[in-house]
Parts: sequence; structure tokens; C-alpha cells
Amino acid sequence: MDWRLSNDGARLVAQPAGRVDEESWKDFSARLTAAVHEAVEAKLPLVIDLSGLEYMTSKGLRVLTMAKSEAKGAIVIHLAAPNAAMKRILAISRYNMLFPVVDRVDQVGG
Amino acid sequence: MRVRFWGTRGSLPVAPHADAVLAKVARALMIARGRSFADQDEATAFAREETEFATHATYGGATACMEIEADEEAFVVCDMGSGMREFGVNALRRCAEGHPRLYHVFLSHPNFDHVMGFPFFRPAYETGARIVIHSGHPDAEAALRRQQEAICFPVPFETLRAKIEFVTHPPDQPFEAAGLTVSLIRQAHATRGSYGYRFERDGKAVVYSTDAEHGAEDMDAEGAFETFFAGADLVICDTMYSLGDAVSLKQDTGHASNVVAVDLCHAAGAKRLALFHHEPNGSDEDIQRMFYETLRYEELVRGERPPLEVLCAYDGLEVEV
Ligand SMILES: [Zn+2]
Repeated sequence: MDWRLSNDGARLVAQPAGRVDEESWKDFSARLTAAVHEAVEAKLPLVIDLSGLEYMTSKGLRVLTMAKSEAKGAIVIHLAAPNAAMKRILAISRYNMLFPVVDRVDQVGG
Repeated sequence: MRVRFWGTRGSLPVAPHADAVLAKVARALMIARGRSFADQDEATAFAREETEFATHATYGGATACMEIEADEEAFVVCDMGSGMREFGVNALRRCAEGHPRLYHVFLSHPNFDHVMGFPFFRPAYETGARIVIHSGHPDAEAALRRQQEAICFPVPFETLRAKIEFVTHPPDQPFEAAGLTVSLIRQAHATRGSYGYRFERDGKAVVYSTDAEHGAEDMDAEGAFETFFAGADLVICDTMYSLGDAVSLKQDTGHASNVVAVDLCHAAGAKRLALFHHEPNGSDEDIQRMFYETLRYEELVRGERPPLEVLCAYDGLEVEV
């Protein structure tokens, strides 16, 4: 998994790329937790741009849950631009009921 | 080995209402579109092949009870849910044909849906039958006795004629029973935990892992399950809730999800997964949808692995291992 984090003033955008699976979930968890703290500090919504992600398994999804509890309601975590596979995974796992899912990153904040 | 499911529902026995059966018949007639059949067999073959499972059948509503046919010398049963009643009737028939009246029962945990079938288990009322109940919980006997106290049930446990023994096993200490090598794993389930079992014989392995929660807080603990499931020919997993429900509304109720079950089996290199302990609120259509979604998820996250075969357990299903 590759990772980029950027702050465009309106939102903090995290861009994981590749796969989040049993190999990479710990890395994803550490980076996402740090991103949550940064977003809380900056009082900005956190958008996870999924466009570069091939897929995420249940460990990655559960990392999202941990990130949400880490945020303690101070910020909202959005999921943006999932590919077709991720859209299905979010629907199958019902994570699309737990997180707001948008088509484009710029639909959040601003 | 052959695995036979006598009860696949979780928490509470259920049965479809008349309307649900009527809807299945109406749907099948719509699919047949006026076709005529020479006899019942031809109609049965059409229903089986041309309609979906939820239309021509039902997942059933008896609670957890699964048999492993491995050894001619003893019956092997996992859990004593309401499905155990029908298993008992069937076992007596096989005993009449010469099967020894020895039963090895492996209990995941003594919650009601996993023990409620025992007072209706006819072999327990038979002189000459011997029932060995294996458990990770030392108070399994207390639970079985308690549910037959006068306030709950008319026949006291003490009056059962079979010879009933209880054996408590520590996890991580494999033992031999009924021609099988058996090991246990401690599982997170509400406050008292539960136990999963791995049964091995002649190079084949079957894992029974129900009522096990794999939460978000302790994902490192899943390594032990990946080892426990390793290379198994069949893994039976509790898949009661969607992952989203399991980590939110149903958190700490002690159950797993279909997607976690697939991931554990993938990581373990298991060959087949049977979805089990179905939500009692689920209709046949709901359970079938969960099954189709699980097939899709397995494909999406398979990566470079060989395919994991996924089955959806139903009362009456037999699986050759
Ligand atoms: Zn149960």
C-alpha cells in the first residue's frame, strides 16, 4: 500500500493506493490514526480518497471503525471515489451505512 | 469424513409462516410459466435446477447442531441446539441397524441456543447409551442440569437413563476422541467466551468455529485463528451479522461476519467455508442474499490465491470432506 496525505485548506485528504489487506492493514492503521489527529488539530474533515485503492479487506474496514472512534466525534471521516470493487465491498459489509460515501473528494468541506 | 447439519440457525429456533411457503410456491409457478411435468420427479428436478434455493427450499430454523460422521464406533456432534432433537431420532434409527450407542458431543459454549436440544435428545433417555460431553467450559454440566430443573422442564436431568459424562479440556492440548484428533481454541463471545474445535483424521481437517467475535480492537488476535484454520478442508463459521452491524449495533454480542470469515479462511489457506449460525430475523431470501454477497466478496479480495469455495449451511445439508 502507498499513502499520501495532503491539506488543501478545506479538507485533509488521505490517499491510500494498492490494497489494504492482512499484509498492509497495520501500516494503514498507523497512518490513518496520525491523519485523524492531524484533521482534529486542523478542525478539518478527513476524506479518504479511495480512487487509487484496488480493494480493502475486513481488516482495513475495521481500521476505519477504529479511526472513527479515535476521532471521538470531533471530525467526520468521509470515503470518496471508490472504484467498482470497493463500492461493492462497502455495500456488502454495510460500511456504506457507517460512513458517508461521496463520488468526488471536492464534495466534502470547502 | 462427512459433515451433516442438523441445525444452522443462531440464537433462537424459527419456522417460516404459511405466507412465506405460499410465496415460494407462487414464485416457482411463475418461473414454470405453465410448463407441464410428467411426474413429481420431473417437477422436483425443474424446481431444483431452474429456481433459486430460497424459492425451492429453506435454510431451516433449528439452532446449532452439526454431526461429523468419521468413525463407525461413535457419533460425533458439535453443539446441542434444537437441531439435536432430529439428530437423536435419526441416530436411534441407525442404532437399530447396529451403530454403537456412543455419542461424543463437543460444546462451543453452554448458551441456550447451543444446549436447548438436549432435553429432547431421545438417546439420553435410553439405558445403554453413553454420552460424553466435551467442553472448554467447566460448568457445562451445571448448565445442562439447570435447564432441566422443575421450573424450566418436566423431566429432571437425574432421571435420564443414558450414562452421561462431562470432560473439560484446556485449549491448546489436543486429544483423541471417536477416532479424531481434536483441538480447541478460545474465542471471544460475550462475557464468558466460547470454544472452536478442529477435528482431524486421515489428513483431513474440519473446523467448527461458531459464536466467535472478531472485533476491531484486537485484530492481532486473529493470527491464532489463521493458524487454527490452516489448510482446513472445511471451516464452519458463524456469519450472523454484516461486518458493519458486528462493529456497531451488534458489537460485543459475540458474533462474526461473512467478510471476516472469508478473510480468515483466505489467510489460513482453507479450502471450503460454510456460512453458519444464521440470524433468526433473516428470511430465506435474506440468507441467500448474504450468501451471494459472500461469493462476490470472496472473488473481489481473492487476489492471487486459489478460490475459496463458499457454502451456505442449511438444515439437512451434507458435505463430503
Ligand atoms: Zn449461538
